[in-house]
Amino acid sequence: MIRVLFFGPVASRVQTHEMQFDYTAGMTLHDIIHKVGMQHPGALSIVSFIAVNQIQVRDKQTPLNDNDEIALMAKFSGG
Amino acid sequence: MSEPVRIQIEDFSLDAENAALKASSQRIGGIATFLGCARDFSEGHNVSEISFEAYGSMALTEMRTLREEAIARFGLLDARIVHRVATVKAGDNIVLIVAGAEHRAAAFDACRWMIDELKQRVPIWKKEITPQGDAWVTPHP
Repeated sequence: MIRVLFFGPVASRVQTHEMQFDYTAGMTLHDIIHKVGMQHPGALSIVSFIAVNQIQVRDKQTPLNDNDEIALMAKFSGG
Repeated sequence: MSEPVRIQIEDFSLDAENAALKASSQRIGGIATFLGCARDFSEGHNVSEISFEAYGSMALTEMRTLREEAIARFGLLDARIVHRVATVKAGDNIVLIVAGAEHRAAAFDACRWMIDELKQRVPIWKKEITPQGDAWVTPHP
């Protein structure tokens, strides 16, 4: 199972804070982003940062492992 | 003594954080603080409240890394970072950065660097609640 987390403005657009997808061997970050984008067209246009297991990644071909936690995040605005 | 890096709902005390920093070393000769607080006006409109949301575990990890980097980079003797994640009203405290060094220059520089880096690196978002509706804030440079 892959957990995808959303916060703040991205959560508002997808209208949830979490989605779950079945894990399949060979799955990449791009596959998950594509699945989310299919369900919520346009919602990902504000995603500026992506984290896998709380570490920022830039390569969408990053391979995933079962039970990975992905966060799709808009630009931060804390402080 | 409280943890030097925290995310919390409740308000914090500047006196308590400064006292905790001073207790960490008697070699501290200068302490610089940055206190971020909520405004009642932003981008041309009145703001009733500000609501914060965080990717808590990642934000805390990033804030701890930020503190360690600041201590190493500026030769600080200690530093503390506290950020509230709550719904706050105008005048309420949001974030506190405290930097302690042997001399003032390092304390000032580190304090400025930490709040600038926090805004760039820590996954926290704010939503302004206005009489016209709610809107997530676009980051300021």
